Amino acid sequence: MNDGASYLELSRRYGFAPKPESASRLTQLVSRQDADLDEIAKVINKDPSLRARLLRVANPEAENEAEYAVETVEDALMRNGMGCVLVLAMSTPLAQALIKTFQTMLSLKIETVDPRTAAPLAGEQLVCNIDFTGKVVGHVLLRMSAEAGRLIAAGILGLPPKEMQDMNEVRDVAGELLNIMTGNFKSNLCDAGLECKLSPPDVRSTGDFMPSGARAGSVEHMAFHHGNIQIFVDVTANPWSDD
Amino acid sequence: MATKILSVDDSRTIRMIVGRTFKPYNCQIVEAGNGEEGLAAAAREQPDLIILDVTMPVMDGVTMLGKLKEDPALKTIPVIMLTAESGRENVLQIAKLGVRDYLVKPFKEEQLIEKASRIVTLQKKPAV
Repeated sequence: MNDGASYLELSRRYGFAPKPESASRLTQLVSRQDADLDEIAKVINKDPSLRARLLRVANPEAENEAEYAVETVEDALMRNGMGCVLVLAMSTPLAQALIKTFQTMLSLKIETVDPRTAAPLAGEQLVCNIDFTGKVVGHVLLRMSAEAGRLIAAGILGLPPKEMQDMNEVRDVAGELLNIMTGNFKSNLCDAGLECKLSPPDVRSTGDFMPSGARAGSVEHMAFHHGNIQIFVDVTANPWSDD
Repeated sequence: MATKILSVDDSRTIRMIVGRTFKPYNCQIVEAGNGEEGLAAAAREQPDLIILDVTMPVMDGVTMLGKLKEDPALKTIPVIMLTAESGRENVLQIAKLGVRDYLVKPFKEEQLIEKASRIVTLQKKPAV
């Protein structure tokens, strides 16, 4: 039974890894509906990676920084509001969970790459989706080639890749990969008071994936790469839903 | 006698990983895909240890844990939570219900062995 231990004591007892500080801070700020944009801008400006990502989110049509119409954090926040900050706050633990999953369960170092310069997926691909509803509404979409899915599934299940032919097993692994990622960010959101529920993962194989349109500034596209494995992750989020 | 471990997770992938993790040891692995099946398996099999996920269809892990702890015949079975969710409310609620340990996904097989071996005896199978 719990001996009245605090969350911090339990985190130490169970050996939890610390949560990304800037993402936690951002989520806490966004969870306050009267959050001060200057305060949020300060947090983002202190973290070069967050700043670069915010400007990328705020300039969805630009192919490089020279084409940015929105050039400052303050301008991006004024134009796009809390939606873009929430996307940033959510995608940080998502990206870290994906990288950690590869390190932990596959002993592979997967790296983030600029999604604008990453080669698009060709041929059959696995598309995995998890919706979330509650005080935040949106979805996380993960895509990879069917072959990458097969390699990842073989690695996670400890099988030689040539033995990994059952696509149902490959889809189950892909769904669990997304489950692990979204479970991590859900904890971050709930801790900040943005309670939400996740749908079970929907995983399908398709040869003609068409991205759905999302309002500029409320979607972050991410890409990851290791050898023959390329993974795309899109996060969309809109705060303050009463659903 | 083999150590009996009940793995309750809706993901076949995780159940397979748990099975593989304990394969070098003298363990019998029993599987269930949700909390309802997990409770039935716990009553039927009387496992030495339960490894339990949180988010599952039909009955989630927190509900299963609560029901397990209400049942005099099952409440002493030790439980390790194995989940991607480590949010404050979940962890406090689960700790209050009573778990022996908590492992956040993604995890290394050695971490699960280390936590399990603090609770049950894991005997290596003799090399063939």
